[in-house]
Amino acid sequence: MKHMIALGLLAAAALSAGPLMPQAEKSQVAKMTLKVGDTAPEFTLLSDGWKTVKLSDYRGKKNVFLAVYVLAFTGG
Amino acid sequence: MDSPAANFAFAKQIGVTFPLLSDMNHKMLKTYGILKGYDVQNETYEWARRANLVIDKQGIIQFVEADESAVDPNTALTMCTTLHKKDAAK
Repeated sequence: MKHMIALGLLAAAALSAGPLMPQAEKSQVAKMTLKVGDTAPEFTLLSDGWKTVKLSDYRGKKNVFLAVYVLAFTGG
Repeated sequence: MDSPAANFAFAKQIGVTFPLLSDMNHKMLKTYGILKGYDVQNETYEWARRANLVIDKQGIIQFVEADESAVDPNTALTMCTTLHKKDAAK
């Protein structure tokens, strides 16, 4: 019986939260000020093997293609 | 934005040959201006915009695009090929 009540509450919460989302959503877009010819700012990121990867690691060695690809695994 | 662990699993699944990188503290995304904030019920959630950048060996940006135009990476790839040919000709 306890389980049934918990499930019911979850469903109710999901139903009431759903329609409110689009009304409340507002977005602030950051300005991308970088342009062709600018020096790319240095960055340090973590690889999928937990190693740090810096832009300067490639200086004088390789050209870098940086693709910021959000939600790649969703197909969206 | 995904964790290195999630990227590791995804890299293994699709068999990529290049590193999948995580910007867990959003530092790079902020510096590059590709972080977008969404206000949902008085809370702000940050998400990255899609972007493609090509940076040459000297650290100079040779190509940049964001949002809808960045969904297709082919223009950026063409720039990579052009840079590669230029390097080979030197």
